[in-house]
Amino acid sequence: MVQYTGLSEFICGNPDWIYPNPMLNEYCPFDTYNLAYDLAYKVWEILGGTIAWLINLIWPGNPISSWLIDDPTMVLFALIVFMLLIFMVAFVNVLIVLWMERKCMGRMMDRRGTMIGLKGFLQCVGDGFKTFLKENTIPKKVDKMTYMWTVSLIVGLSVLVACMVPLSQRWYVVNYDSGLLIIMAFFALAPFFILVSGWSQNNKYSLIGGMRAAELMISYEVPMLILIATTALMAGSFNIGDIVYAQNDSLWYFIPQILGFIVFFFCAPAEAERVPFDIAEAEAELVEGWQTEYAGMKWGLIMLADYLRGTVSCGMVVILYLGGWTLPFLGDFSQFTIEGSSGIGYLLAWLPMPELVFILKSYVVFFFMILTRCALARVRTDQILNIGWKVFMPLAVINLVIVLFLRVGGVI
Amino acid sequence: MDESKLKYLNKYTDIKNGAQGKPYKTKNLAKGLWIVKPAWTVFKLFSKTVARQPVTVLYPYQKEWVPENYRGRPGLRFDKCVSCGMCVRMCPTSCIKLIEVSDDDGKPVMRPQVNMGRCAMCGYCAEYCPVDAMTVTPEYELAEYTRFDLLYGPRRLHYEGTTPGMEVKLEVTLPSDIESGNPEKRHLLCELDRPELTESKCIGCKKCEKVCPVGAIKMEEKGVNDKGRPILRPKIDNSKCICCSNCVDDCPKSALAIKEVL
Repeated sequence: MVQYTGLSEFICGNPDWIYPNPMLNEYCPFDTYNLAYDLAYKVWEILGGTIAWLINLIWPGNPISSWLIDDPTMVLFALIVFMLLIFMVAFVNVLIVLWMERKCMGRMMDRRGTMIGLKGFLQCVGDGFKTFLKENTIPKKVDKMTYMWTVSLIVGLSVLVACMVPLSQRWYVVNYDSGLLIIMAFFALAPFFILVSGWSQNNKYSLIGGMRAAELMISYEVPMLILIATTALMAGSFNIGDIVYAQNDSLWYFIPQILGFIVFFFCAPAEAERVPFDIAEAEAELVEGWQTEYAGMKWGLIMLADYLRGTVSCGMVVILYLGGWTLPFLGDFSQFTIEGSSGIGYLLAWLPMPELVFILKSYVVFFFMILTRCALARVRTDQILNIGWKVFMPLAVINLVIVLFLRVGGVI
Repeated sequence: MDESKLKYLNKYTDIKNGAQGKPYKTKNLAKGLWIVKPAWTVFKLFSKTVARQPVTVLYPYQKEWVPENYRGRPGLRFDKCVSCGMCVRMCPTSCIKLIEVSDDDGKPVMRPQVNMGRCAMCGYCAEYCPVDAMTVTPEYELAEYTRFDLLYGPRRLHYEGTTPGMEVKLEVTLPSDIESGNPEKRHLLCELDRPELTESKCIGCKKCEKVCPVGAIKMEEKGVNDKGRPILRPKIDNSKCICCSNCVDDCPKSALAIKEVL
């Protein structure tokens, strides 16, 4: 072990410390192997080592260099790089999903979609830069504090949720036993802020949009939570990894829970406020819904948050019903190791297969969401209540009863 | 109140019932979930458009196929034109004007000039041109920076790849005409009409002979008048005449008139 000095010795080396020494864990600061953190640590080893060496060249024997290569410091900076890495993956994911939506929707409407740059992919990047250049106007009569705080919270929560979705057993931010509940709770928090934001903007369109967001939430949230509870009951855990491996051990849950899968597939776009459940935004009726008064990059970030939520809802469908990052007969590819296999096995071990499988599965789900988006018109405000309480709710309860019988009968 | 009126009122005023008079309760809620049909339609379209390109044509780079007698801007075959002014007469937007230019030998001749800012691309000039000098062309990109640039002189009107289809024969009955139940051929004026002389009005001024673009009018002597001078009367060669009615317009005594003779 490395000899620690000063504060780090007090925290890590003190045997009287109330917690077991976290630095003694091999995968510190995580409990298990984390691929993203491993990459981030290696990147910071190169970067921080170079910086420390350069400073040491100029001022030999200075304390900053030795502080930079100290283990706790390395962990701190590696965690910062780790956060950037996790966000970058979510962000690139959003760009790809956005491109896919524009292109697929174009084809479904018999037009071409975006065309400029890499078959239209760079159009999304260009649109992002365009929103940066827009003037950032704030209307005079809005309640500035709530106006700014709510949009920050909505965007922040969406980014947080998007980063919290694990891509595999080794690509996660937090891994605890109530992970699914935490993600769904943060996911469902946005409509409150949307309501407050709509109120603070002093604009009838925004207010109606905010109220519609609240109405939308009370109609889909209850059946959705019942479905989550059903899946947790079936897997016997709220831990996302446990749910995925329970499906890998038995069978993907969309087969026994076909009703639940269908209902969740329609609740997920409602959660992300996508067409046909975008009644809070409703460009055709309310100007831009609750986003009407947000200009420039604020609006750009809201759009980013929208698509982040879209990817998260697809990811939740994949985790709950489509076996997460596992494939039938192949599992999570942990049987392939770089040392122990050759040929295709070596390639599979070298590629980040579970992460790729998860992302590709969520793209497939997203494709079907685009399909429903193109096929269906936006629901009316009274229809969403009817659908939520008279159709989704009974189906969710029936699904729960089926799972209860399966569980009691010992089938699963 | 009789029953039919009550029924009518019920149909539109009963809050419990829909606009069609059917109560809402009979609506099948499961129908709201039945999205398979539209989704399948969209998926079929998606597969079709992925296999082939979408209907959108990328205009400046790709262009649609243009039929042979597409009515783009008018074109002119300089040597064929006899400067009869038929196009000037027929133009509904009066965008054509005869101007004086020099031909290949340097002689001054009258040829049409088209103001493309006014041209409606109707193709009447090509239809009614008796010698098929005016044609239509498949050119439709006519944007210019100034209004002056929109004036197409006789030389500029020339189009390189003129084909027989661009002459737009009036006798050719359009398919759309046949579809709408009118298969009759239209006829050129020069096939049916000819100028006719009212001898008593004529003063023998030879103006008609001068203005005739095809030289169909020759002055003939018809005896001698009281003062012993020859009486001149126009003789119209029907095979040469293209019925442009220049002679009718220029006759100072209105002795000539277009009549349906053939």
